[in-house]
Amino acid sequence: MNKLRTGAFHTGMILLSLLWLGPVIWVVVMSTRSFDDIAAHGVGSLPRSFTLDTYRQAWTDGGELRALINSMLVTVPSVALSLGLAAMAAFALSRFRIPGRRTILLLMLAGNLLPPQILLIPVAKFSELTGLYDTLWALIAVQVGFGLGFYTFVLHGFMRDLPGEIQEAATIDGAGTAQIFTRVMLPLTRPALAALGALSFTWIFNDLLWAITVLRTDDNMPVTPALLGLQGQFVSSWNVIAAGTVIAAVPTVAVFLRFQRHFVSGLALGAVK
Amino acid sequence: MSDFDPGRRRFLGHLGLAGLGALGASSFLSACASSASGPTAGNGSGAVTIQSNLSSPQAKAAMEKLIANFNAQGKGTASLNTIASETFRTQLPTYLTSANPPDLYTWYAGSVANDYASRNLLLDVSDVWKSLGDYPQSLRTLSTDASGKQVFVPMNNYWWGFFYRKSNFARWGVREPKTWTEFLALCETLKSKGVPPIGIGLGDTPWVASAWFDYLNIRINGAPFHRELLAGKQRFDDPKVKAVLTRWREALPYFDPKGKAYPFQEATTALLAGKTGMFLIGTFFADAAPKDALGDLDFFQFPIVDPAVPVAEEAPTDGFFASAKTANPTGTRALLTYLAGVEAQEAYVKASSGIVLPANPGAKAADSPLVTKGKAMLDGAKELTQFFNRDSSDALQPTADTALTKFMDKPDQIDAILREWQSSAEKVFKG
Repeated sequence: MNKLRTGAFHTGMILLSLLWLGPVIWVVVMSTRSFDDIAAHGVGSLPRSFTLDTYRQAWTDGGELRALINSMLVTVPSVALSLGLAAMAAFALSRFRIPGRRTILLLMLAGNLLPPQILLIPVAKFSELTGLYDTLWALIAVQVGFGLGFYTFVLHGFMRDLPGEIQEAATIDGAGTAQIFTRVMLPLTRPALAALGALSFTWIFNDLLWAITVLRTDDNMPVTPALLGLQGQFVSSWNVIAAGTVIAAVPTVAVFLRFQRHFVSGLALGAVK
Repeated sequence: MSDFDPGRRRFLGHLGLAGLGALGASSFLSACASSASGPTAGNGSGAVTIQSNLSSPQAKAAMEKLIANFNAQGKGTASLNTIASETFRTQLPTYLTSANPPDLYTWYAGSVANDYASRNLLLDVSDVWKSLGDYPQSLRTLSTDASGKQVFVPMNNYWWGFFYRKSNFARWGVREPKTWTEFLALCETLKSKGVPPIGIGLGDTPWVASAWFDYLNIRINGAPFHRELLAGKQRFDDPKVKAVLTRWREALPYFDPKGKAYPFQEATTALLAGKTGMFLIGTFFADAAPKDALGDLDFFQFPIVDPAVPVAEEAPTDGFFASAKTANPTGTRALLTYLAGVEAQEAYVKASSGIVLPANPGAKAADSPLVTKGKAMLDGAKELTQFFNRDSSDALQPTADTALTKFMDKPDQIDAILREWQSSAEKVFKG
């Protein structure tokens, strides 16, 4: 009976994980097929060819190197800047009796509830007014602006629960506000920061909407619009697109593997006191 | 107290650093912004920027080659900017209305270009047309806006037709039909052999159905009525439109039932594998075919329904228009003149893999039997139309998609479907 149970459990889990991994495996397999194979037998058929030339095509013809550099140029400063600003805002809002702090926080959160689509035209026009249109700075500004509300909300909740005695002790030892922030609060918030960092890295790296809204030169495009650019007007080389997608997924997977530990502990933090 | 001083000093130090950082960042920011907007802020003699939607690898490479040739001639400089075609479609209005727009754009002739021209967004290129005297009148009319000036320079066009595999038609012992009656007889024969006669791909690409509507309309009611209908001067609930769908209904039993589920690219695969008999599609579908199948492809003209109606064909025309706000109109016109010339058009046709016909009558099309046949068909047509969205607007296309998909599902509700189509079309025309 017990054996049967274990067997059923494992079969079920294997099937579930296959369901989960299926699309990923499908993309990887598709990326190694030749175009004629896909054209003759359809994207869903079993592979009848093997080639790694698709990766070369995606890398050189698709301009993935340039696009990946652009993506990193946008993502890394955006993550650093938005988390830095959000941490400061969360620190101020959670540890000091700032008048209207609840309203400020709710306002920041409310901004996140707006669907980004209704802001596309204002953002495009505003970036033009400021002369930032078609620069990576515009994209960084947009990403920081739109991430800030949510990050502040999360970090605020986290910092509020840190014991007030630590701050009092630091004050008695003569630490100023900035010192408390950098030397006491930030190290204590590290799990939350790491988790948010991994999350925001994925979000910003995978964003497509804002990139095509504020950029128009192909040399400036990050990796998501570059992948879109691999599609033709009518007909797309799905094998090359699949290869490009695999390449584009590497940075986010790497970040997640690196921060996985923090991510899990960040989620569980506060669960047990 | 003195114990705390180092800390405070350090804190002040931090503040100072932070301030410096902020200063540095802001100056860097402005420096970057001004330098990045440099190339497009043409100062009258700067490079002409072309915003191109030709993102498929071969077409992109072909355009890159053309621009390199132009730059080598020394009559000016141009820089190519290729954007994914779907992104381009949605962003084009933003590009055109921005304060500092790119100079030249790849796009469609006809009502789409005229619509932008009526909002004064397009450059008058009548000068360029003075050197295009040998272009056919149909292309000149297509490139002229409501006020009588040319706003568009055509690069190439292509045709639509019923494509099939020669080897399959030979195996089934059937021949190309000329008339609607022959066409229906052919369908019946194929069906009796167990092959779904007519392939179609409406999943993700529902606009493919509009080709059927366009063609039946220009075969039954003629091209002038078709144009007026798409311009909002006729009604979709007109008995003449009902006649189109009634005729279409005769062929509905012969459509591949799986066609609603997959896009036209997979319908191409099905056609090539012999799972459908024939397929009404534009020549671009050949890009989705494996290279070894290309030699086996042939097509026939959409069958004649009413011999009294002058024969019109669909010939979607691609080309260029320029922004009215270009900082370098002279350079832009020079580039347009180059692109309209024989040399550039032949180079493009040669470098791009697609089956296209150059717009310049002096330029040679690719030397294949298929292309020769397609060119002859267009040359023999009394009138040319383009395609539903190009003769109307991208806004009207979804109304056709909804109506026609519904019609293919429920062909007994033609009247209700047409009434609904008319009311949604009215919203678009008023919008």
